[in-house]
Amino acid sequence: MSTLIKLAFRNIFRSKRRTLITFSAVSIGLALLVITISLMNGIDKQSISNIINCQTSHIKIFKKGYFDKKDELPMDITIKEPDRIRSLLKDIPEVVETESRILFGAGIIKGMDELPCLGVAIDPDLDPELFVIKESLIEGEWLAADDANMLVGESLAEDIGLSVGDLVTVRVITSTDKDDFSWNALDFEIKGIFDTDNPTVDSGRILIPLKQAGEGLSMESEVTEIVVRLNSDDDGVVFAARKKISEALKSQDQDLEVYTWKDLAGTFLAISKMKTRSSSMIIFIMLIIASMGIVNTMLMAVMERTREIGMLSALGMKKGEIMRLFILEGGFIGVFGSLLGCILGGLVSWYLEVYGWSMAAFGETMQKVSASVYPVEDVFYADLTLDVLITTLIFGTLISIIASFYPARKAARLNPTDALRHI
Amino acid sequence: MPLVKVEDVSKIYKTNGIPFPALNGISFSVEKGEFLSLAGPSGSGKTTMLNLIGCLDKPTEGSIFLDDKDISAGKSSELADIRRYNIGFIFQTFNLIPILTSFENVEFPLILKGDLSREERRTLVEEILEDVGLKDLMQRKPSQLSGGQQQRVAVARALVKKPKLILADEPTANLDSKNGEEVLELMRQMNEKSGATFIFSTHDRMVMDFACRLINLKDGKIESDEKRG
Repeated sequence: MSTLIKLAFRNIFRSKRRTLITFSAVSIGLALLVITISLMNGIDKQSISNIINCQTSHIKIFKKGYFDKKDELPMDITIKEPDRIRSLLKDIPEVVETESRILFGAGIIKGMDELPCLGVAIDPDLDPELFVIKESLIEGEWLAADDANMLVGESLAEDIGLSVGDLVTVRVITSTDKDDFSWNALDFEIKGIFDTDNPTVDSGRILIPLKQAGEGLSMESEVTEIVVRLNSDDDGVVFAARKKISEALKSQDQDLEVYTWKDLAGTFLAISKMKTRSSSMIIFIMLIIASMGIVNTMLMAVMERTREIGMLSALGMKKGEIMRLFILEGGFIGVFGSLLGCILGGLVSWYLEVYGWSMAAFGETMQKVSASVYPVEDVFYADLTLDVLITTLIFGTLISIIASFYPARKAARLNPTDALRHI
Repeated sequence: MPLVKVEDVSKIYKTNGIPFPALNGISFSVEKGEFLSLAGPSGSGKTTMLNLIGCLDKPTEGSIFLDDKDISAGKSSELADIRRYNIGFIFQTFNLIPILTSFENVEFPLILKGDLSREERRTLVEEILEDVGLKDLMQRKPSQLSGGQQQRVAVARALVKKPKLILADEPTANLDSKNGEEVLELMRQMNEKSGATFIFSTHDRMVMDFACRLINLKDGKIESDEKRG
């Protein structure tokens, strides 16, 4: 076998230019594969982090029936005595902090304009333990629990022309019932403006203190959700914690349901899955083209070396050995091409992991489109992992070996006397 | 017991469905240690006969025995084994592996045979390269050697594994007369030294003169079979 390896290795340098072209096709194909996968993984990681840190935290508890209607923001499916419910979760080791919140439909009124947005009533003391909004303040101050003050996302503030210190009227929807639709108008002072990495939050959310919402929304001791922060983003931890929380909630008499961030980020996960499928398809086609290059190179080699194959056969080499020789040659192109592809792809991915890839270069429209698809602001960062490199290396080598199979079989099946006569 | 026994062998090739008889009922025997030439004009069946004896092809009719073993009906892997252990080939166009050095080309059949250590192989290869007068050039690749030198490497490659039979198809056809003569002389020396049986094809009168036995073929049949010297 070592002789076959030596022979195969030297053979790939016979037609240097042809080998180089095939080698480049494999390398570029696989480098693109590594970059695409790293970028997709990075975008997913960023998106998940932004969803958890700005929108959902790890787990949410709703009153039964709320989840199905959550897009309507119902105000009548509420959790009573939220503090008592929260106290039931204290002893679960994975739970870091919990917070009661009210989500409500709102509209910021300025002059004749009204801009619809999502209102979130939060506990200003606890919220920083669960979300990153406080860290993301770019102007003004954090909410004061007892004042009629409000925080607003940067893009929303820009869209309607608000600045810190402005007084605005917010129309809050207090009942979404079709027969009993009602709303209330409340005045708030803009206390601060936040700019998170999540464009969905920055462009469509206002935050008010829970106490103010209690009065304005007539929900003094009720909330629409309890959010739970865990000590890890890991799926295993999240699912284990959900089970424990569900168990803990059995001891109270309200009919509550527990959801993970995955249940709440369904749209994003569906897009992510679709995106993975469509890019896999493109990558697959690219690799088919690269493997066609290998098939072509190896067929040329078989044709050029027909007489030599006849001679090897005359020396007593068996069909299987001749076949292995050509498969090894294709395999070598694959291994080295994949290695270079992994190095190139790895370097570009590393650059994109450190410096990111800004959508700004593609213009404002592209920026808006990407922000509407991913909860990531402007700059995408790749996430390069060793398993991507290893999988790519194995995958590239296997594809090359499979591609060499047909030419190798052709070589092995040559009749020695015909092969020796070949000119 | 003869080393090679050819019994009523015919070979018919089909080109575009049209049968073309290359050999037509040939019988002869070759004893161990013979230095035999198959002579005849182009198309007389010399190469076909060598291919059949060399287990590269099978006869359409008749039988060929090598060391009393019928090789005319063997499976392709069995025939490959016979070639690997018992037969050495020398070709008209040398057919060395261009990416290997002279040393490696000669070593190759020993590696295929697989029963010797690296050191044992080295000793044998150096010895045979010394015999053909190319020990100093053993690190050269075929492209760095003259035609005569390449054919000497090919002779060494055919002999190194000490086969029972060496088949040479027009071994001097691509060489000038001086180099051709030298290669033939070398083959004869090896025949005398190792006792290996040589069968070579030619249509060159000078080459025929080297043979101890001359079988003349014409239109796929034996025209004459004469012992010389």
